[in-house]
Amino acid sequence: MGVERNQFSRRQMIRSLAAGSILMPGILQQLLADESRGDVNPLAPRAPHYAPRAKRVIFMYMSGGVSHMDSFDPKPKLFADAGSSRIKSPNGRPYLRPLWEFKPGGTCGTEVSDLFPNVRQCVDDICLIRSMKGDHNDHFQATLGIHTGSVTFARPSIGSWVSYGLGTVNQNLPSFVVLAPQLPYAGSQVWSADFLPGCHQGTRVLAGAEPIPDLNRRSPSQAVQEMELGLLDRFNHMHQRKHPADPVLSARIKSFETAFGMQQAMPEVLDLTHESDATLDLYGLERGSSKGFGWQCLVARRLVERGVRFVELIDTGSNNNWDSHSDMKQHGPLAKNVDMAIAGLLRDLKSRGMLEDTLVVWTTEFGRTPFTDGPNGRSHHNSVFSSWLAGGGVKGGIVHGKSDEYGGRVIENEVHVHDFHATILHLLGFDHERLTFRHAGRDFRLTDVSGNVVKAILA
Amino acid sequence: MKRYFQIILGFAFAMLVPRLSLAVPAAAGPATKPSAEGIEYFEKNIRPVLVERCYRCHSKDAEKVKGGLLVDTREGLLKGGENGVVIVPGNPDKSRLITAIRYHDEEIRMPPKEPLAEQQIAHFEEWVRMGAPDPRTAAMVAKPAPPPYDYAKAREFWAFQPVRDAQVPVVSDQHWAINDLDRFILAKLEAKGLKPVGSADRVVLIRRATFDLTGLPPTPEEVEAFLTDTSPTAWEKVVDRLLASPHYGEQWGRHWLDLARYADTSGCNSDYPVPSAYKYRNYVIKSFNADKPYDEFLKEQIAGDLLPRPEKTEDKWDGIIATGYLAEARRFGSRAAEFHLTIEDTIDNVGKTMLGLSVSCARCHDHKFDPIPTSDYYALYGIFKSTKYAFPGTEIYKHTKDFVPLVDGEEAESLRKYEKELTEIDDQMERLVQERTPLLVREKQRELKEVCAVFPVARHQRVSHKDDPGLPEPGQRSLLQVKADMAELRERQLRLEFKPMTVEKAYAAQEGAPGDAKIQRKGDPQNQAETVRRGFLTILGGQKLAQDCKGSGRLELANWIADPKNPLTARVMANRIWQYHFGRGIVQTPNDFGSRGKAPTHPELLDWLASRLVEGGWSIKSMHKLIMMSRTYQLACDDEPTNSAVDYDNDYLWRFNRRRLSAEEIRDAMLFMSAELDESPSGPHPFPPETEWKYTQHKPFVANYDSHRRGIYLMQQRIKKQPFLEVFDGADTNATTAVRAMSTTPIQALFVMNDPFAHEMAEKFAIRVGLAVVEEDKRIEYAYRLAYGRMPTSEERQMGHEYLKECKEKMKEAGLPWDQQTKAALASYSRMILGSNEFFFLE
Repeated sequence: MGVERNQFSRRQMIRSLAAGSILMPGILQQLLADESRGDVNPLAPRAPHYAPRAKRVIFMYMSGGVSHMDSFDPKPKLFADAGSSRIKSPNGRPYLRPLWEFKPGGTCGTEVSDLFPNVRQCVDDICLIRSMKGDHNDHFQATLGIHTGSVTFARPSIGSWVSYGLGTVNQNLPSFVVLAPQLPYAGSQVWSADFLPGCHQGTRVLAGAEPIPDLNRRSPSQAVQEMELGLLDRFNHMHQRKHPADPVLSARIKSFETAFGMQQAMPEVLDLTHESDATLDLYGLERGSSKGFGWQCLVARRLVERGVRFVELIDTGSNNNWDSHSDMKQHGPLAKNVDMAIAGLLRDLKSRGMLEDTLVVWTTEFGRTPFTDGPNGRSHHNSVFSSWLAGGGVKGGIVHGKSDEYGGRVIENEVHVHDFHATILHLLGFDHERLTFRHAGRDFRLTDVSGNVVKAILA
Repeated sequence: MKRYFQIILGFAFAMLVPRLSLAVPAAAGPATKPSAEGIEYFEKNIRPVLVERCYRCHSKDAEKVKGGLLVDTREGLLKGGENGVVIVPGNPDKSRLITAIRYHDEEIRMPPKEPLAEQQIAHFEEWVRMGAPDPRTAAMVAKPAPPPYDYAKAREFWAFQPVRDAQVPVVSDQHWAINDLDRFILAKLEAKGLKPVGSADRVVLIRRATFDLTGLPPTPEEVEAFLTDTSPTAWEKVVDRLLASPHYGEQWGRHWLDLARYADTSGCNSDYPVPSAYKYRNYVIKSFNADKPYDEFLKEQIAGDLLPRPEKTEDKWDGIIATGYLAEARRFGSRAAEFHLTIEDTIDNVGKTMLGLSVSCARCHDHKFDPIPTSDYYALYGIFKSTKYAFPGTEIYKHTKDFVPLVDGEEAESLRKYEKELTEIDDQMERLVQERTPLLVREKQRELKEVCAVFPVARHQRVSHKDDPGLPEPGQRSLLQVKADMAELRERQLRLEFKPMTVEKAYAAQEGAPGDAKIQRKGDPQNQAETVRRGFLTILGGQKLAQDCKGSGRLELANWIADPKNPLTARVMANRIWQYHFGRGIVQTPNDFGSRGKAPTHPELLDWLASRLVEGGWSIKSMHKLIMMSRTYQLACDDEPTNSAVDYDNDYLWRFNRRRLSAEEIRDAMLFMSAELDESPSGPHPFPPETEWKYTQHKPFVANYDSHRRGIYLMQQRIKKQPFLEVFDGADTNATTAVRAMSTTPIQALFVMNDPFAHEMAEKFAIRVGLAVVEEDKRIEYAYRLAYGRMPTSEERQMGHEYLKECKEKMKEAGLPWDQQTKAALASYSRMILGSNEFFFLE
């Protein structure tokens, strides 16, 4: 698999530097020494608390607040009662009829609306949660909530916690990658490591000429850059002769090799030319295009395939998103952007045998109200919304939790955002109460002081 | 505690009386005791819901008790409200409380905004069926809670003990120590059997001191002067020169800004710019340069507007600008509804930065580890609630408000008037938006109805006039009227925006409406308990505002904090000064001197330093001098295996700690090396004009203003970090940063390899070197002297020649024209010098 290939190329790089007599003798062995030394490398792979069901995560976050009763939570009574002038919601506003019909999918028969016809075909692999609940009704706070567990203060993102807990397998790629064409609410705080060490921060990768800032070689040729790195290595090793015991100095020496590796590895990940037509079709991606969620999903697969621990996909940004206050029709094109790509990703992972130990998460910051806001739209609604999990260790083809007959509140098996996070960490082999970091005098964790693992959905 | 005690009593009692069958309704008489199971059921399923969902309107602490019903005692619950009994024990269907929470009856629905969960409703039904067992009595609720801490015992903790001017210890080695500070260090080393390494050489020393005090490297001339100065005061001269440098305030001011979580934006979801924030930043720099006494510096930041105005004209507004420290508190959400979080951020910062205590833990509950009860938190809360913070604008209220004019008389008045008018327009506009929403919906429905009228089959029933959504209800205005009002308002707004105010103003704090605050249970502002008098932390003296105090209490608070008898203030600052010099504090958790923090490695030394700080009139520069003149500061960074075996982390300072340069130091040093640094101080950032701000959470303010000034002058946002500072562990702009993280990442390496800034600086550096000297050997030498402050060894010279030759060749192969090859090779060489560990680390 990709992991070995990349390590090989890095080793090749070091050997070629050595062969060109740029490296001083004796350094070679040191450079090739085991990369898994945790004291030097905070990203060295680490075992979780107990045997994990999932080894990596693809976290899909739909920005703006997806309406549950138009997508994953069928409400026949809402279809029936909306438009009646007699029946009003508790706050006096009229109920709004969902725009998309629901139909059962798969053999399990979980109902999904026509908004997601392709995802509907995958429901046998999906564990749908219809009883999600968040702490805040504004985008900014709720977006931080679903990512960090805190709706008020800046805290590390879930991807940073996973990176901190597990390290990463491929040292030539970041442990936590974010594919987000636009900035979401709360900007880069969404993937920030906050008080965790900076290496656990999400690295935003963009389609285009320079996917990560400073990734492209600026020196005029590969030969020049190799010379430069060789020189730097000599400088640093001469300096280190005086301070042989300082691990920080060796860590910085190593970081240049990793950077060099990343410079080679990242373009390779983003190079889709060797993907077959069939695969591109699966994701609904045109050859040569790097637009849309199809590109994000396919790149996500390639990243996890190469050992990246946590990949976050954000479909839109802080505007022109799922925040359909005035007209629910706006959900249509947004769903079209993601539906086929998501289904393609699930099928692709499955056919490669990767779905077994890859956890796929689909979520949003909150749901929407059963009643109107603008004339044909819905407002924010954090009392209940839908999310789903698939793959690594969750039961497929089930529905967990229930909202009331209009989709206004949770009536069964509430899954708070903290519970959702606790469950994701559990699947990765962590006791969420024990994955902590000491900061400002107290042990912080993703789930703050709450969170219960949702045992009913574990396979 | 008390409550649990009562519950246990209840259990014990229940064992003595004959058990009641659960099916038999319990009589309401006070003589009957509920069963243990009943109490357990109540405690688990009923009480939490009552507290969370009902107490706000139905308890003795409710601001206004609704319907005369109290549910916080058994008596109250059984007595019922104005409309009679609400519970019939044993019969849920006859209990009006159950009817209300079932939400079936349109007439009574409780809680009014959102129903309880199904399961909670079921619990209440079951509980009434059980006979509504309830252990609460009126007496219990009325009794004040006992003090949760044993303060006498708490005061035994080292940090709460008064500062004691410790005796200078006696040491065996009489020659090593230069000053008394060294004797404290040596005494510990001797006790641990550690032997300090030798002194650092002069090149290392001057580089160390120059970065330490100014954040910049020394020039070759400065190094040369120090190396050739054979007088016994050579070192002292260097220290004095650096302390007098205007760059000193930029370096040490930055440390303070880290603590004060300084940013140029508000931190709300749209991250509104604060163009006048820089005045506070510059005030901090100026204060450090002027060696403003630390107690005065603190007092000004809490209550500078209430202190007598400074005499010098150029300092006239400093007191007001200083309160920018308070205004810098983070803003949340879109509305003032979340202002309690801004106050929490203030208390968190005052606690950690000035007192080294995590006071804000007591917001939701009594502090679990330190003796800080919730009542102390709200005693401070009242002070800041009585303070008016300048308002930078948010998504909904886009206009600034309550900025403090830095002019007197009429001009100041005109600013207030202008802000007031715009604020009123914002308020009215928001009300009109609220009014318009249902009217728009109605309009839409009317359109639908017209469609239905054309196709009558679609209509199933006659609609009465009252039901017709197309007509406004009596007293309600029409959509047209509302729209007209909005247009008029918008026009007034535009007229004002067209003539922006140019009055100088500060992002600062001023006196608001004074008043004590109520305790907020679990930190929830909706769930209020008793009022607490504004005052200081009990453990630090527990002073309260005098009854006749007319102000917010900030002035009093400032004095309590800066009181030399306060055991924490001087200790915390002495520790910080130590920490920034040595890379680590005597207390290694500089923002936490509480029981969860680390105990001091040298408690006597810390007290001795704190005493010197106070004794020296709180002069920070005197502390630098004291520390830098010591032998301890001048030690080499050398490793010594026998010492490492005992004290690997160098807690006892047998050598100096190596450290990586901070983000600002890396950037500024690179600019300095290439002679590109603009050394002038900076004023405001080029923000778009205030009247054009339309930022929302969907389109927040995001900008990056590059310059070649010192890093401290870079515009820093809260929602998004400045890109360079983010890569190299810059300070957190959302919360106090006591210690900069020092990560090593491949992204940092990519910066050296490929960043345009790194390439530009290296090229400028190469040009500087190339223009200064022509001979290649001299160029190599000059590059070393500039970057490292030392001469290259012969091995290094040789290496340089080989590299430049080979690199030039490679440049040629890469297709560079002949006249650029030499320069490109020198630039490539220079970038590796600037990217090397020797440049990035300070010994």
